[in-house]
Amino acid sequence: MSEEMLKVTVDKFIFLVPAGRFYSDAGVWVKPEDHRARLGLSDFAQQSNGDVAFVRVRPMGTKLERGDEFAEIETVKVNVSFPSPVRGTIVEVNRSLMDAPELINQEPDGKGWLAVVELSEAEDALSHLLDAQAYLAIVKGQAEAEMKR
Amino acid sequence: MPSERTAMPELPKRKVGIIACSGEEIAEGTVTRLAALRVLESLRPHETVTICLPLFLAGGEGDRAFARFHPTIAVDGCEKRCAARGTEMYSGKPAVSIVVNGDRSKDSSLLGTARRLTEVGMQVVDDVAGQIVRHVDQLLDLKRGRQTGPPTAGLEILQERAPRQAACSCGSGIPVATLQVAGREVTLLALPLIFAEFHEAGKLPDESVRNELMQAVKIYNSIPDADEAAYAHAVIQEYVAFCRENH
Amino acid sequence: MKQKILIVPCSGIGKSYGSVAREAAYRVTEDLCPEKTKLVPLALLVLGGEEARSELGEAKAITIDGCKHACAAKVVAESGGTVANAVDVPEVFRRHRHLKPSGIAELDENGKKLAQVLAEEIRELVGSAVGEDRHA
Repeated sequence: MSEEMLKVTVDKFIFLVPAGRFYSDAGVWVKPEDHRARLGLSDFAQQSNGDVAFVRVRPMGTKLERGDEFAEIETVKVNVSFPSPVRGTIVEVNRSLMDAPELINQEPDGKGWLAVVELSEAEDALSHLLDAQAYLAIVKGQAEAEMKR
Repeated sequence: MPSERTAMPELPKRKVGIIACSGEEIAEGTVTRLAALRVLESLRPHETVTICLPLFLAGGEGDRAFARFHPTIAVDGCEKRCAARGTEMYSGKPAVSIVVNGDRSKDSSLLGTARRLTEVGMQVVDDVAGQIVRHVDQLLDLKRGRQTGPPTAGLEILQERAPRQAACSCGSGIPVATLQVAGREVTLLALPLIFAEFHEAGKLPDESVRNELMQAVKIYNSIPDADEAAYAHAVIQEYVAFCRENH
Repeated sequence: MKQKILIVPCSGIGKSYGSVAREAAYRVTEDLCPEKTKLVPLALLVLGGEEARSELGEAKAITIDGCKHACAAKVVAESGGTVANAVDVPEVFRRHRHLKPSGIAELDENGKKLAQVLAEEIRELVGSAVGEDRHA
């Protein structure tokens, strides 16, 4: 099923942001799935950190508060950990990433997903997150700042 | 295939794309690589962008779109000019094409090998980096808007870059507008964006804004001096129409 | 004269892995098995005309790519070549985690060591490719 994509170009870099998802300013996308949420890294997060060599995701059953580290990636450039944008329990982890961490770079919005979380908060579980347009603006600002460095 | 909705892009800062052939067979190929990296990493890091030639040739959308909109400098190790020809094939003729040691003023063997350059080779890296920097500075000279200065030996300066078509679908996201100027059709890059910025800033479409409009137009388009008055007239008329439609 | 195995590195300029690919290609074709291999610049396959592409002809190619774009593998395949092995530098790095490379113009010590490890793996691949030809 095709998903509408927002796009921003900075220099030669093109960053895609699926329109129907939510985002943390750390670059984690959140896709609601009933009482659950699928989490992954945004296209901007994977491009700016580089080719993923290793990924570590907290195991199934882990209870998360908002802001708890739930995943870490290691690239040639950096080691980066990502805070959970939601409160809940990890119920699924993308095992494909163990053998193919490059999926995070190749399909950050699809097969490169990281984890599925059963949400603790019944209502307004995602209301604190950014919508696609707001995240797009952040991506543009951060990308331009990166170019100036 | 997911659909893409592009938000109206803001006018990007103009930069220069450097495309080095990085040819592995001869020392000059390595010279191109090191000279380009020196410019990109040290000498003009905020004014230049590297275009990765293999990615460019294999279909890199971002690199190709960048090279369509921004001026490029191709740096080649030999007369096969893979970087220059590749750029022209997929985006547009580079503004400048440099061939290292193109006049063969130096014995190639003095430069070393493709794998290891000698001191002489590293001096050539410095020279070529210096040439690239001079051209970057000229290409980004906004007041003059055109290259000046005599050609350097072994360096070919191609004709001044004509305005490029850059429809939204090409990937650069920069819209164009086609106007009638002195009886002929002319396409101006980024004109809709310039109008949108001016309109948003509350600048009225009258003669007082004419010079400012043309300064903005000349950042992204090459306007012959002799025709500037005709262009200015057409642009201000177009801006009047734009403001009326967006009132 | 036996057909040489073509070594096609991406030589990408944007990351260390591109320089590792380039350095590994030199080590294979100049140091480890010069009599069995030949380095072919990727750009020539696209822009060098029929003469350059005719190199691909019946020869097998081992491509060395520095990132997920796999430019060398893609270009060789699109130019009508046979990719016997598509080597991915990041994948080799994953198996040698202690050799994290840095530098593009000049590789650091880890980068050079990674290039050597990579070159030795490619030497094995060359041996297999040549062995297959012998038995063909």
